[in-house]
Amino acid sequence: MATYNTNEFRSGLKLMIDGDPYAIVENEVVKPGKGQAFNRIKVKNLKTGRVVERTYKSGESVEAADVMDTELQYLYNDGEQWHFMHPETFEQIAADKAAVGDAEKWLKEQDMCTITLWNGNPLVVTPPNFVTLTVTDTDPGLKGDTSGGGGKPATMETGAVVQVPLFVQIGEELKIDTRTGKYVSRAKD
Amino acid sequence: MNNWQPVASPELIRLRAQSLKTIRRFFEQHNVLEVDTPVLSSATITDPFIESFQTHYIPLTRQIEHTRYYLHTSPEFAMKRLLAAGSGSIYQIAKVFRQGELSPRHNPEFTLLEWYREGWDHHQLMTEIDQLLTLLIAEHLPLAESRFISYQQAFEKHLHINPHTADINELMACARAQQLDNVLDKTDSKDRYLELLFSHCIEPFLGKPEQDKSEQTGKAQLCFLYHYPATQASLARITETNGVSVAERFEIFINGMELGNGFYELNNTQEQRERFVHDNEQRKHNGQQTVPLDEHFLAALETLPDCAGVAIGIERLLMVMSGSRHINNVLNFPFERA
Repeated sequence: MATYNTNEFRSGLKLMIDGDPYAIVENEVVKPGKGQAFNRIKVKNLKTGRVVERTYKSGESVEAADVMDTELQYLYNDGEQWHFMHPETFEQIAADKAAVGDAEKWLKEQDMCTITLWNGNPLVVTPPNFVTLTVTDTDPGLKGDTSGGGGKPATMETGAVVQVPLFVQIGEELKIDTRTGKYVSRAKD
Repeated sequence: MNNWQPVASPELIRLRAQSLKTIRRFFEQHNVLEVDTPVLSSATITDPFIESFQTHYIPLTRQIEHTRYYLHTSPEFAMKRLLAAGSGSIYQIAKVFRQGELSPRHNPEFTLLEWYREGWDHHQLMTEIDQLLTLLIAEHLPLAESRFISYQQAFEKHLHINPHTADINELMACARAQQLDNVLDKTDSKDRYLELLFSHCIEPFLGKPEQDKSEQTGKAQLCFLYHYPATQASLARITETNGVSVAERFEIFINGMELGNGFYELNNTQEQRERFVHDNEQRKHNGQQTVPLDEHFLAALETLPDCAGVAIGIERLLMVMSGSRHINNVLNFPFERA
C-alpha cells in the first residue's frame, strides 16, 4: 500500500480517506512554537466533488489513492456507457453515468477528454475547457440584430442548452466554455 | 533564475529597520543591555517538537576529525549563562533556525527578539511586553486594551472544559464534538489532545476583534495567555494555584496568531536535567535522534538569578504591523529564494 507522509502534502495529491479517493485542495501546517504540529487540509472527494476539512498529526502517513489522469478520445455512447479510446494504443475504456455526470452534455465524438482513473476505472470525465458545437434549435433572431445585447436559449447538438446572442441561427457552430457553460464566440474556421 | 529579487517591498524593508530601531531605543531607555551569543553550539534544545539544524566543524589541518555543531533554535541557553554570570537584564535580536518549519507563518530561518528581566516574574514581564508591542503595533493597527487570561479560562470560554482536571476521555469527547476525531488515538497523551484543541478551537480566536457590542468592537488586541499545564512547562517554573500544578509560562497572541513565548525561568539544575532527559526518552520513543544535553547551560542554572524571559518572533510582529498574511511578504529572501 503506497502512502504519503504529511510532509509530502501539497495541493493535487490524491489520498484515500474513509474508502474514497480525495485530492488535496489546500494544505496548512499548524505548528505552535512549542508542541505538536498538525497538517490541516482541505480535500475534495473525487467521486462527489464535495470539499471537506481534515486534520492529521504531522509526521503521520496517509494511504495514497491510485488516481491518475489520462487524455482519451470520446468515441460514442451506446445508451448505457460512454466509450473512450487512447489515441496511440487504441485501448478502449467505457465510463458509466456516475463518472460522466454533467460532462455528458458537452461530449462530442472525437473530442479529447480528461478521464480520471481510480484503480484503473473511470472516476471522473472532464470535457475539454472549450468545445465547438452546432446549434440544432433556437428561436429565429431579429434580422439585423448584431448588438449582442440580450440573449436567448439555444440547444446544441449534444443536448446542452446555452444562452446565446440574439443573432445566432440554427446550424451555426459556436465555441462554448464547458467550465461555465457560457457562449464564448462563433467558431472560427 | 528569475526569482533573485527580494519579496519584501521597499516599505516593508524600511518597516523592519524602523522597528528594530524602536526596539533598541526602548531597551536603552529601560536599561536593558544588548548582547550577542553564538549561533553555533555543541548542544541544543531537547524539545521533541523542535528540530535543530546540524553542521560539522572540520579542522583546517586534520580533516578526519570533525565535530557536530547545532544552529541555535533560540539564544536562550547562552543568554541565561550570561545572566548567571551577572550580566543583569539583557536582550538580543538573533537569527535562529528550526528544521521543517515552513508555512505561511513559518520560515526555517527567522528573527527572535529575546529578553530577560532579572528579579522580575512573568507577570511583571508581560506588562513590559505589552508596553513594547503596543508601542510598535498601535501606530499601524488600532488596538483594544490588552487581555490577560489563564490557559484554563481560555479552555473554559471556548470549549467549556477545565484543561487541568479533564481526563483523556473528556478530551476525546471534546475533540469529537469539534469534528477532530480520528486525528489522535488512545495512545496519544493528554497534552497532544490539549494541543490539538488549543490550536484548532482556541488559538484562531485569541486577539481577534471581539464580536460584542462594546466600544472596542472591531479592534484587534494583544492576548496574553498564562499558566500552562505543568506537563508543558518546558523551561518554566511550576507552581500550585487552586490545588493544580501550573507552569509559569505564557504566550502572546494577536489576530489568532502566536507572537511569542515566555517563562518565569526555572533555575533548578536537577529539575531541568530531568526534563531534558525525559525529552530525550520521548525522542527515542518517537524514533527521533536524541541530542546532547547542554551541560554549560545546566551548570549555569546553579547561579541563575530569579528572572523572567520572553522570545518574540520579529517576522510575525512585522506581519501584524503590515497586515501581511504570508511571512514571505516581510522577508527579503524567504527560504525558497535563500
